[in-house]
Amino acid sequence: MTHYPILAIMAYFLGAFLIVIFGRNRAVRNTLGFLGTAVPLCLLIMLAKPILANGEIIAYWMGNRVPAGGYAIGIALEVDAFGLFFGLLIATAVFVAMIYSFSYMSHDDNEPQYYTLFLMLCGGVMGLVLSGDLFNMFIMVEILTFAAVALTAFRNTVFGALEAAFKYLVVGCIGSTCILAGTIMLYAQAHTLNFAQLAAFLPGNLNIATIIAYALLFIGFCTKAFLVPFHPLAADAHGAAPAPVSVLISGVLTKSGLYGIIRLTYILFRTMNLGTVQFWLVFLGSVSMFLCVTMALAQHDFKRLLAFHSISQIGYVLTAAGLATALGVSSGLYHAMNHTLFKGLLFLCAGAVLHETGTTDLDRLGGLSKKMPVTTVLFLVGAFSISGIPPFNGFASKWLIYQATYQKAVESGNIGFMLVTVCCLVTSTLTLASFVKVTQSVFFGQLPKEYEHVKEVPFGMRLGMGILAALCILTGIFPGFVQNWLTGPAARAVFQANGYIDAMMGAGYADKFGLADTLPVSFTSVGVWSPISWLCLLAIMLLAVAIVAITSKYDAVSKAAKQTDPLTLEALESATAAYLPTAPANPAPRYATGHAASGKYELFFGGEESVFSQVGGDDLFWGFKHNWRHYFKFMHELHSGIVNDYSLWAVVALALAMLYAMIIL
Amino acid sequence: MTIVLDSLRYLAYILIFPGFLFCFLTGMLLCGIDRKLVARMQKRIGPPVLQPFYDFFKLLGKETIVPAAANRVVFLAAPLVGLAAQVVLQLFIPVFSFSAFRGVADVIVVLYLLLIPALSVILGAASSGSPYAGVGLSREMVTILAVELPLVLVLLAVAKTVGNAMGTGLCFSLSQIAEYQAANGSLITRLSMLPAVAAMLLIIPGETGNHPFDAAEAETEICEGMLAEYSGAPLAVYKLSHAVKLLTMTSLFVALFLGGIGGAVEHLLVGLAPAIAGGLAIVIEIIILFLLCIVLVALCCSLVHAVTARLRIEQLFKYYWTVVAGLALISVVLAWYGL
Amino acid sequence: MFKNLITESMSKSPWLFHINAGSCNGCDIELVAVLTPRYDAERLGFKLTGTPRHADVVVVTGPVTKQVLPRVLRAISQVPEPRVIVTMGSCPQSGNVFRGSYSVAGPLSKYVDVDVDIAGCAPKPEAIIDGLALAMKILSEKRAAMNGKVEAKAAPAEEPKEVQAEPAAEAVEEAAPADPPVEEVAAAQEGGEQ
Repeated sequence: MTHYPILAIMAYFLGAFLIVIFGRNRAVRNTLGFLGTAVPLCLLIMLAKPILANGEIIAYWMGNRVPAGGYAIGIALEVDAFGLFFGLLIATAVFVAMIYSFSYMSHDDNEPQYYTLFLMLCGGVMGLVLSGDLFNMFIMVEILTFAAVALTAFRNTVFGALEAAFKYLVVGCIGSTCILAGTIMLYAQAHTLNFAQLAAFLPGNLNIATIIAYALLFIGFCTKAFLVPFHPLAADAHGAAPAPVSVLISGVLTKSGLYGIIRLTYILFRTMNLGTVQFWLVFLGSVSMFLCVTMALAQHDFKRLLAFHSISQIGYVLTAAGLATALGVSSGLYHAMNHTLFKGLLFLCAGAVLHETGTTDLDRLGGLSKKMPVTTVLFLVGAFSISGIPPFNGFASKWLIYQATYQKAVESGNIGFMLVTVCCLVTSTLTLASFVKVTQSVFFGQLPKEYEHVKEVPFGMRLGMGILAALCILTGIFPGFVQNWLTGPAARAVFQANGYIDAMMGAGYADKFGLADTLPVSFTSVGVWSPISWLCLLAIMLLAVAIVAITSKYDAVSKAAKQTDPLTLEALESATAAYLPTAPANPAPRYATGHAASGKYELFFGGEESVFSQVGGDDLFWGFKHNWRHYFKFMHELHSGIVNDYSLWAVVALALAMLYAMIIL
Repeated sequence: MTIVLDSLRYLAYILIFPGFLFCFLTGMLLCGIDRKLVARMQKRIGPPVLQPFYDFFKLLGKETIVPAAANRVVFLAAPLVGLAAQVVLQLFIPVFSFSAFRGVADVIVVLYLLLIPALSVILGAASSGSPYAGVGLSREMVTILAVELPLVLVLLAVAKTVGNAMGTGLCFSLSQIAEYQAANGSLITRLSMLPAVAAMLLIIPGETGNHPFDAAEAETEICEGMLAEYSGAPLAVYKLSHAVKLLTMTSLFVALFLGGIGGAVEHLLVGLAPAIAGGLAIVIEIIILFLLCIVLVALCCSLVHAVTARLRIEQLFKYYWTVVAGLALISVVLAWYGL
Repeated sequence: MFKNLITESMSKSPWLFHINAGSCNGCDIELVAVLTPRYDAERLGFKLTGTPRHADVVVVTGPVTKQVLPRVLRAISQVPEPRVIVTMGSCPQSGNVFRGSYSVAGPLSKYVDVDVDIAGCAPKPEAIIDGLALAMKILSEKRAAMNGKVEAKAAPAEEPKEVQAEPAAEAVEEAAPADPPVEEVAAAQEGGEQ
């Protein structure tokens, strides 16, 4: 069992290398890709019972180079409940993305290269979250960054793909450099790179060097999570990358950044009991949450919109994690999990639309629900989830986050946290608004002529989306299960740094440094929400309403009258044509719409002939945007799209973070 | 045996009181009273109070037209889901001390459950493919956005006030809020709650889409907006949903701010045998609730309707995010400092 | 019982959809005047709707110009069954002073089965209310007929007859196709304007 983590990481890399060698043949390639993602998933699921349920921690020393004399020399993997939780998320998401890719990428060139990079990225992220060693973490960050850059530009014929990849490369490298610099500084101070040893050493040794290292690492992981001010990169990258890659970037890569931040602040430095650090995280989270949701409202590209929402949801997670309460961390992790599921689903739906229509422009699409019913339903599941509509999973986690923030406000007596609650709630409604926009612009409304031959996507893609949709619903209906068996243990692990240190360095190691865990054990929430009871009630009510509706011939009249309506279009035509002094030369097209035999079943246009008129796209919520026009103008001018600006933002953010860290620590 | 009895009892809750039948009758009556009152305020005779029932049954007898551009399944199913969700929501709002289903949903959940009926109208409208419906749903969504912020603040203020008094710091459970008020008097009597009460009174017409906040259904400019393509039975269901929403919002107001009356009623009946007193209390409470709902409708729907003209959508948004949210925020701050 | 309830309600809640088919606005104003406090047609359940999909009674004013004819027919066809078509004012019945104009395609009864004619130029509010009350009754009857046999209307609609009517806007009783029944409203209108 102790070998499972390394095997999981190896499986991805092995798959990547084998595909380079044997990947010419499609069947071999797909088999390798499938095995490369399915095997780690199975391995991690087998680890779930001992680690999540029993609370064990796996410490694995490569080459069995165990610590000697209280110093860790070898390369270590360390899997606690927190790491495994993220590992499970990642493994699930990449598995689904891989299944989806088989159909989705089948028309692209260079498929072997795609799968190679894909698996490299997965391996990088998996290595990152299971690693027990800071330098290994940096290596994995490098691997995943370069794989992600290459995948972003994979369809380099797409407009903007190379530019997006370039931006990502530049700013991503700034982030990686920060991580490297932070790692070096910590090594200089602590003479070790092992997490456990660092975690024991650092809390008592906060000097100027370690504090700057802290800020550097923090900013480095922020870059990976695309938090504000690194959010424009994500939008560009998602807009250009193929859909499964978007799933990886949004559902997997950002999680690695989050993982890094939480690991850093909670376990390595144990700074989370400081109010100032909590403020830092909550503030950053809330700003990301709100700013990115408003940015999303202004988008008119499906995938860019999703990209901004992705960061907005990461903002929720960071806010919740920054509360430093048990409920906060567990709800944050719950939301991180849900984000992976529903955002993956939504990106795959966007990919399905792109696959069939060739565009993701909200201003040009419309009415696809009649052509792609399955995709529409799956999209709605994702949209309801992300908007926090009960009983989908987004609601369960957001609901816990509201309570956690409000409880924190009450406990700390700080009214600011209550404003965070309000910010979370409003952001959630804004999220709903922008998904109503997508629903109306893409799936409902009228179908443009050019998309009349659109078909439903192939089974493989539907399967991938279906798995995620099912998980979205299940994790929404059974919040108690998720909390008890997934997020609860993970959150507990976050607060048990001493256990983490002892598992690695031998029992009693942490005590030598005089460290004590402050373990908030209360996971209780004051609210009540029982999705199953609600669903039962809704089902009964729906049944009752439906029975009444059927007995009252809900739409039976329509069928009867349809045959006997005297005012058919032909009657109108002949009546009018006969009377008009100059009969039209070709009377047929006058009312012809190609849809119905009668004007009755056309849309009402004030009596005019039906014309194509799709309300949707960018400007749907004028009433809202008008009031915020100065804000939107400001944001528009700020996001210049120039990589120099974004690099500058990164440097400024780094400087601010260092300054703040030096002041508070 | 008890299981059978229990399930029968719950079925009665769902279908009769406070479920479907109760919602149907009282919601429709509230609607009719609203129309009558508006007419009287304009010196008209007005339609009979039972008019919404006539409208409802008439619409059931009309032909249902599904436009050729519409997605038939969504178009027809959306009203039913919306109605069901609306009535289920009503089950969670306590009638003074009586709550049919406790332990299912708290205040925040109710806030979100309120979105489901609105969302079902939006989806139904979107699926019809009509541009009028498109404009209507855009406005409806902005209205939801506008109302959400003050509503959240009001609910948080109430949660904080009750929580303070109960010593837990915050209280999200509606039945606990009701019990607290039954024991300690209505929240409306507190100074810190007065701005929240005013805000909530303004939220009710916005949430139910009544005049002057009915930009989403402006029949004179965008042909009834979201309902432009609906006819016959689905339209009847929407009208019913709207009526139930009126009941839901007003009884939510009563539950949040006027819960003390329930305590007073129980006080009155204290001398009677418990079985009789319990039954009698419920009956009296239902009657009082209904009367209060009528007062609220008269105050914040009919009166406002009769004296104002419709706001443009961006005016509406601004109004809610400044005036109403400001009122609610004052209340939150006052509650925070324990006034 | 349920069906009776529906039929009953049908005559108590007629919703109007108003089409201006080239009217001079006189009748339009009168129709709105009927809903004002003085006459208050809402006490009978009347309501102006914004879309034909909600309407039971279609009120057409104006002489039905050629430009507007297809639009009128299209709007009428979008009203769900059972529906009642009411012409208001003399114009849609006879053409009134516009009769014979190159641009007028009326009367309306050539194209659709008109159920109620409210004569006058413009009709008095009392006449309008009277006519609308008649429309309610017809609505209820139509619904009752639908209950019995939905196929009743399957017979081909009778050819609309061209009716020679006097040009003056007397209280004209338009002769119109016999089936479905056309009710006439003799408005207390002195036809002296022209």
